[in-house]
Amino acid sequence: MRNNKNLDQKVKAYVDNLFAGVGQSQQLFELKEELTTNLKEKINDYKRTGMGEDEAFKAAVSSMGDLSGLVDDMREIGQDKAKQSVYSTMTARISTAGLIVGILLILFGALTTSMLYFMSLPMEAVTGPAIFIVIGGAVITYSLLTRETSKKYAMNKIRAALYALASGLILFSLFVAFTSGFATEEVYVAISSMMVFLIAGIGLLLGLLFTTRDRRK
Amino acid sequence: MGSKISTDLIRGHTDTIILNVLRQGDSYGYQIYKTIIELSNNQYELKEATLYTAFRRLEKEGYIVSYWGDETQGGRRKYYRIAEEGLERYQQNKKEWKFAKNVLNKLIEGGIDTDEK
Repeated sequence: MRNNKNLDQKVKAYVDNLFAGVGQSQQLFELKEELTTNLKEKINDYKRTGMGEDEAFKAAVSSMGDLSGLVDDMREIGQDKAKQSVYSTMTARISTAGLIVGILLILFGALTTSMLYFMSLPMEAVTGPAIFIVIGGAVITYSLLTRETSKKYAMNKIRAALYALASGLILFSLFVAFTSGFATEEVYVAISSMMVFLIAGIGLLLGLLFTTRDRRK
Repeated sequence: MGSKISTDLIRGHTDTIILNVLRQGDSYGYQIYKTIIELSNNQYELKEATLYTAFRRLEKEGYIVSYWGDETQGGRRKYYRIAEEGLERYQQNKKEWKFAKNVLNKLIEGGIDTDEK
């Protein structure tokens, strides 16, 4: 049985060496196990025809064919995985912080606004702190999209930033509408000042939605 | 192995050959390799490197599914099973092959009628 152990180690070393320097992935782990099991069986078959162990090992290995395609395949998967994990742990923290900050900003904006309202200040002064809700909304949009979940990959940072900009613009258009509306007490002023930001925001949002890539795993 | 089939000639049929083996029962890498040699009466060997690459491709395309056997001695085996889509693909490929075989035969062995006016 000592011999068998030797052979096991030899095959394992060969397979490990074959994929030396290739980034770890579930696929690589499984492929290595698959190759190892099959290779051992082949060597044992060769030994049964009367070959010595070394001879059988060499014959089995050299008859495998050109494995470089498989190695390249695995290298690609390994690289993607490594990038993703670095990317997600880095952004996961930013995303979590962003969510907290965003929620706090919205809370702050909403509470200050209602506080001013109940202080019976003029309406145009009341809407001022609502700008925090706009900023909070944009921050939350970005944080949610760059978050990797068990079902979805995190969105690309630039794309998420554009989404955040779009939602920020739309919220800002509402903010502008209320502020200018209350200040002038004219609805047309509210609509006209809202228009620019709303159209820009919706345009950007539509552009993003129509170029959506699948983030499902 | 005597005369060999050129790899160029067989390359386009690797998937069909594997599907043909798997439609007759689940199997694993080395066994499929041996079955193909056997099917060819020792006249053709599909390299394992080609096999494993094909497995990955076929699985990605949904033609086969893999699962691990529960061997304890000598390591687990990864088995492959043909999927419904794989079976359809096989039938389609077989039909195409029969048609192509016919036409190719005419093209390669056929004589040209010269007594046409």
